[in-house]
Amino acid sequence: MNQNSSDYLLEIKSVSKSFGELHVLKDVNLNIAKGEVVCIIGPSGSGKSTLLRCINFISPPDSGEIVFDKVSWRSYRSKFNVLANFRYEKKLPALRAEIGMVFQHFNVFPHMTTLENVSLGLQKVRKMKKDKAKEVAAQSLEQVGLSDKLQVYPDQLSGGQKQRVAIARALALNPKVMLFDEVTSALDPELVSGILDEIRRLVREGMTMIIVTHEMKFAFQVAHRIVFMDQGKIVQVGTPEEIRNTQEPRAKAFLSSILE
Amino acid sequence: MGKYDFSWRIIEEHLPELMKGLIITLQISVAGMAFALLFGLFFATLRFSQYRVLNVISNSIVQVGRSLPLFVLLFWIYYGLSLKFKINFSDFQAGAIALGITGGAYMAEVFRGGIKAIDQGQSDAAFAIGLNRMQTSRLIVLPQAIRIILPQTVNIYVGLLKGATIVSVIGVSDMIYVAQYVSLETFRPFELYSFAGVVFIALTLSVASFAWLLERQLSGKSRRG
Repeated sequence: MNQNSSDYLLEIKSVSKSFGELHVLKDVNLNIAKGEVVCIIGPSGSGKSTLLRCINFISPPDSGEIVFDKVSWRSYRSKFNVLANFRYEKKLPALRAEIGMVFQHFNVFPHMTTLENVSLGLQKVRKMKKDKAKEVAAQSLEQVGLSDKLQVYPDQLSGGQKQRVAIARALALNPKVMLFDEVTSALDPELVSGILDEIRRLVREGMTMIIVTHEMKFAFQVAHRIVFMDQGKIVQVGTPEEIRNTQEPRAKAFLSSILE
Repeated sequence: MGKYDFSWRIIEEHLPELMKGLIITLQISVAGMAFALLFGLFFATLRFSQYRVLNVISNSIVQVGRSLPLFVLLFWIYYGLSLKFKINFSDFQAGAIALGITGGAYMAEVFRGGIKAIDQGQSDAAFAIGLNRMQTSRLIVLPQAIRIILPQTVNIYVGLLKGATIVSVIGVSDMIYVAQYVSLETFRPFELYSFAGVVFIALTLSVASFAWLLERQLSGKSRRG
């Protein structure tokens, strides 16, 4: 890969994070180019989801740096300077608005219709007028095949439909990168492939994506690179081909246990 | 014991005054509830602050507010503040503030419980689309928490409504105060206080049924398309 850092859309630089005594991420480094699809695999508790949540500071890293679109972001929290903390907090939404995220448990807003779920960010973050926002939101929902569900509340939707709403909600904001955090893990088996197809559509459109998943077949199909994580560290990064033929003992053990 | 002749006519004769008192009771309880909601939300927010100091301060104020009898609080605010700091509130203001503090201490806990009941994933998702903290609370967390806290909030309002009868001790001319002075003239305390009691039952029932309707309205919104 090119060593010039400005070629990367996203750089994760020596990111560490612990929850109390538990070191969830230990000095993680990863660079992602524009248009690249990276799948992160590894056993549960290896820090995959936490890494995603560090990228948009929903769970801010303890140390390290995120460079996104040439802008550097670090965690900041002063014990005494409350004003500085406020100023810092005010900046974060700008970063997050450029990074779409879809969660394992959908996290759609149950008190809003499908259309309101998607148009909320357009109105409040992209500052669109209400009518314009609804129009864009409706288009976004149409792309995920939900144009007949605009006025429906989430508790009338299936898991797969809720996840489509969540995908539309993220995509409507026209993000530069999408983060998928085990988005099929909470779905009934028959609904999984539909959501994977949505992600495949984004791959074809050239969206930059980081996908944490347990769907190995899918990961090896769509990824340009695969990242294997274990115990808070990136153990190996490579093309699907390289990872499939890995000789690294932990990666090998994980893959054979899962592919059996 | 002698035979007691009930004379319910006394109520009819003094109905206009009693109704005036009732209106004062309603006004002071609503004003108190408004304060309680503000205090409650404020202190509940502090409880969720990332600054330990604010958590501790808010927690202490809530604990003290809950432990203090309304009666003592009233005296402190009405007489104490005036004597010691020359801060003079009218009897109505002092009553509303005292009710607000007591109710607010309870509301803080209710708000805290309601907010905690909302899944963390909801604010994660709100942050992820770029909403700030304020927008996340106002647009995502609070609207969902309100459905959870509504029944308890009604209970607290009913408590304040009854608590509002104590404000007569600092001379607020609420319904109990009216009943008291009319009975001094007419020697009919039994009839007058019983009337007040019945009015309170009616009030509580109407508040409860209003809340029930509201609750149905709110939960229906997400169920029906």
